[in-house]
Amino acid sequence: MERKVEPRESMDTSEDALIRQCQAGDKDAFGRLVKGCAGRAIGAAYVLLGNRDDAMEASQDAFVRAWRNIRRFDGRSRFYTWYSKVLRNVCISRLRRKRHPTVQMAVEPAGTAEHSDPSILAERNERAERIWQALRQLPLKHREILVMSHFQHMAYKDIAEALGIPIGTVMSRLHNARKALRDLLPKEFANHPAGTR
Amino acid sequence: MMNCEELKSMISARVDDELPPEQARRLEEHLAGCEACRRELAEMTALKKELDMIRFNEPTDAELTRYWSGVYNRLERGAGWILFSLGAIVLLCYGGFKLVEEVVRDPDIQWWVKGGVLALVFGTAILFVSLLRERLAVRKVDKYSREIER
Repeated sequence: MERKVEPRESMDTSEDALIRQCQAGDKDAFGRLVKGCAGRAIGAAYVLLGNRDDAMEASQDAFVRAWRNIRRFDGRSRFYTWYSKVLRNVCISRLRRKRHPTVQMAVEPAGTAEHSDPSILAERNERAERIWQALRQLPLKHREILVMSHFQHMAYKDIAEALGIPIGTVMSRLHNARKALRDLLPKEFANHPAGTR
Repeated sequence: MMNCEELKSMISARVDDELPPEQARRLEEHLAGCEACRRELAEMTALKKELDMIRFNEPTDAELTRYWSGVYNRLERGAGWILFSLGAIVLLCYGGFKLVEEVVRDPDIQWWVKGGVLALVFGTAILFVSLLRERLAVRKVDKYSREIER
């Protein structure tokens, strides 16, 4: 199935140029980078933290940290891969501070998100809600790899880079995460996937 | 011939189209003769479709501008806090030093009061250094505090 959300930024030479400008202290250039990946960042933080306000704050905190360390970014990976490491750790720090090893993720009532938040879930049907319910029960290790693969649309090599693990481990961890998620979902999900009935 | 367990993690990679050609070929050979793995592949494909149905709204330009303003304000506030903290530390150190000097030199103040003030100052300094050392040590071993380093 085709990806639903495409990242706004074009991650090639234009990103390299923006990074160089940022490293020279150009905040406007950083603003363009931020705007290019804010949607994905807020969404990913929302899945990890389960709270819209926390997600906004955490993603903004992570951008501030990224700016403070932008000179250390060496361009070996894409900016978002590097940023996702920062975001992940900001989220983990927040979860640790709150002492919530498994977050209580609020499922937004249908139709409210579009009016109140720039980038929270658009699709609010019963199936999506069931998946949210299942996602929130997963351990952080599984949730974060699903976030990277499905909600941040990261390739395996980028996930490996962000988590500091080999690609083989990405494969097995992602498979285990999906199996854990599948086991939490009602049986009819597997038999009648979305769009087939 | 590899067994099912060895191949299972490849099933997700195939669903994501991330499997190298050689592994893909081996998996296809296995799938041709293994119904359990074919079922697992079908289930993983279905689950991926379900997850792909969930999506985020892309923020509008106005929302992005507001969001960036929030980040920008934090960047500015960060610089402000650093300057404020530096100034406060300098002034507190100077004020503390002058206070201690005055108390110690004042002949009208009892010796035990002077001792108390000195103990307070040295105790505060020891606590500060100890906390600072602890924070630095934690920073060295805590993987979550090193998100910037590669």
